[in-house]
Amino acid sequence: MMTFIPPRLRKPAVYVLAGLLFAAAWLVQGGHLWFVSIMAVIGTAAGAVRLYRLGGTDTDEGARAGSRTDERQQLVSLRSRALACNLAAATSFLGLTAAIAVKAAWGWPFLVTFLITGYGYLLGLGNYGVAEEGTPDDEDAGSQTRPSVSS
Amino acid sequence: MRNEVREQRRQRGLSQVELADALGVSRQTVISIESGRYMPSLPLAFTIARFFDLTVDKMFDPDDEEAGA
Repeated sequence: MMTFIPPRLRKPAVYVLAGLLFAAAWLVQGGHLWFVSIMAVIGTAAGAVRLYRLGGTDTDEGARAGSRTDERQQLVSLRSRALACNLAAATSFLGLTAAIAVKAAWGWPFLVTFLITGYGYLLGLGNYGVAEEGTPDDEDAGSQTRPSVSS
Repeated sequence: MRNEVREQRRQRGLSQVELADALGVSRQTVISIESGRYMPSLPLAFTIARFFDLTVDKMFDPDDEEAGA
């Protein structure tokens, strides 16, 4: 989707987009806190520049920031995302449980987060191959035992 | 898992950066493989073995796990 953007600019571009959306939210809200949007734009610009500069460094963080990760760096990133998702699921479950216990009305965001993480996990299982065991070879079909191999 | 990457690289007089460029991975990944902290994927293991004109089982020794740990 972002292949038309040079790799080193991709993460800063996403960062800028997210920052501008955040700033726009403060601006749309109006009121006396409108200046937060300006601070958000300044912070976003500074962060994007920092991210771009980081993307040029010869480090694992630089490779991630510059969108030029190899398989080990992708694996580390994947594990980190999995950990973040596990924490989000556990936190949302605890929050939901606490909200139920005190009969609070603020439990629904925890419920939504918990359902999304759970659904995302099931979606991942479906997308990434749990249902792709395939069929057994002809020789193996109908038989669970294999002849012993003599060495 | 013990591997011969460091020995083979040194025998050929290559730096970690040069090997990383040749394999299409980062210098940090070469360091991790050499130190045994990262076990490469099968495609990368084949790429490494072919680069050094060796077989995968010559490059990587799964029976020497305890010795590397």
